[in-house]
Amino acid sequence: MNALLEPLQVAFMQRAMIAGAVVGGLCAMIGVFVVQRGLSFIGDGLAHAAFGGIALGLLLGVSLERMTWVALPFTVMIALGIGYVLRRGNMRGDVATGVFSAVSFALGVLLLGLRSTDGPQVNVETVLFGSILAISPDDLITVGVVGVATTLLLAFTWTKLAYATFDPELAALSGVKVAALDYMLLALTAVVIVVAVKTVGIALVSSFVVIPAATAKMVGRSIGRVALLAIAIGVIGSSIGLMLSYHADVASGATIILTLGAVFGLALLFKKK
Amino acid sequence: MSAVHAEADGMPQGHFTLPDPSLPRVLEVENLIVDVPGRRLLDGISFWVPKGEFVCLCGPNGAGKSTFLKTVLGLMPPTSGSIRIMGKPAQKALREVGYVPQRKTSDMTFPARSIDLIVASMRGSWPLRIREEERARAIEILRHVGGEKLLEKEIARLSGGETQRVFLARALVNQPSLVILDEPTAGVDVKGRAEFLDLLAEISASDELAAILVTHNLAAVARCAERVVYLDAGRVSAWGLPSELLGQASLSAISAVAGGDHAAHSHQHHLPDEE
Repeated sequence: MNALLEPLQVAFMQRAMIAGAVVGGLCAMIGVFVVQRGLSFIGDGLAHAAFGGIALGLLLGVSLERMTWVALPFTVMIALGIGYVLRRGNMRGDVATGVFSAVSFALGVLLLGLRSTDGPQVNVETVLFGSILAISPDDLITVGVVGVATTLLLAFTWTKLAYATFDPELAALSGVKVAALDYMLLALTAVVIVVAVKTVGIALVSSFVVIPAATAKMVGRSIGRVALLAIAIGVIGSSIGLMLSYHADVASGATIILTLGAVFGLALLFKKK
Repeated sequence: MSAVHAEADGMPQGHFTLPDPSLPRVLEVENLIVDVPGRRLLDGISFWVPKGEFVCLCGPNGAGKSTFLKTVLGLMPPTSGSIRIMGKPAQKALREVGYVPQRKTSDMTFPARSIDLIVASMRGSWPLRIREEERARAIEILRHVGGEKLLEKEIARLSGGETQRVFLARALVNQPSLVILDEPTAGVDVKGRAEFLDLLAEISASDELAAILVTHNLAAVARCAERVVYLDAGRVSAWGLPSELLGQASLSAISAVAGGDHAAHSHQHHLPDEE
């Protein structure tokens, strides 16, 4: 047992466990609405958009550690842009997301190429696949602040957001400010995605949003239970994945996602018809 | 009842009977115009619905029925004209309106039970916990529409007919003065449709509740309508009693809506109706 829990004695693993659990829970919380609204692709799209923000930061000379503060506003703007196009109603969500994310990613590649050659070296692999084990105390504070702010906002708007997700017209008739909630959800998704990119990377972050919510949706009978279950799966799956990666000495981000994938597979197998 | 020559109001030739103007008006629409860039969707709509009257709103696809409903419900801004519900501007009287949407607008994969939908309508927000008095009211309203056993049923498992029963319950739960039904039997099987028409006929018999039913279904018009408003190209082209509009001259126009002279002439009133 001691050997199993040994990783928890190490400071970088403690930080990784906390960050993984918080980010796992946050992504799951957002994921419940994202999945239910059929916007699963948006996690992937915003992660690619975040790459554009990171590249912009690097061009401006910001260090990789502080890149979140450039990527955040950039990705939120992209999310709001997608929201605007969606609300105009003349383009499907996947098309809008595809265009915005591809353009942002291409912009990122272009900006990276424009950087001065004497600037600090950037490990693109770290950006793409995350580095949860390299989470610093400063990163942990960022994760904590985003976690508290997101949880509070969602808690205050939960019942309206759920109603608008079920049927925006009926919710609007009941006085729910549907447009404001739509924009808020997209902006929150962008914020959570940017923070999560640090842990599992651009390539895998959308699974962090989609898999816990999709798994919980197979089991839960009410939106409240689905949310609680998704959060539990996100938090526990992230912790177990991280421990497994430590003991097996394999990539942590990928192991977390594979663990979540295994839970999804089990739920699918035992799902009542 | 007052009779008018519709021609005078820009309506097609014919003699249509309008509601008694002395009756209290639940909905009153006056010269309603709705424009979108480059196009006029509603072009001077005017009619009223007195208390307790069941009106069928008919017209071909693209006639402006959905735009009209959205404008009345405050989901689309009018360019000009006025909409009054119970004498108040529509936006200030939406609690007086119960709405049964087309089935395709709601996310029926949403993890919820029928009771959640009904309580959401009562509260204006999604319930996480349901209080005893809310449960009692939900049971009462479901019993009213013959759907008591659906209370705890997951919405994803409701049949087409059951779904519309639950949506009717949620529309009626706040005791509205006007209920608006947007093609409620579209996509519902024959049995469910017949049962739902029975329910609508009950509403039609009520002297308290006014209703507007948007439908392409001749059976619904024949069974429930106390008055028919026929829209075409964004204008009211006829407004009168069903017997007046379901006469030979007008029947072909209404049946064309449902996409079939064949169905209209079959005398079965089971058109391959709503899309």
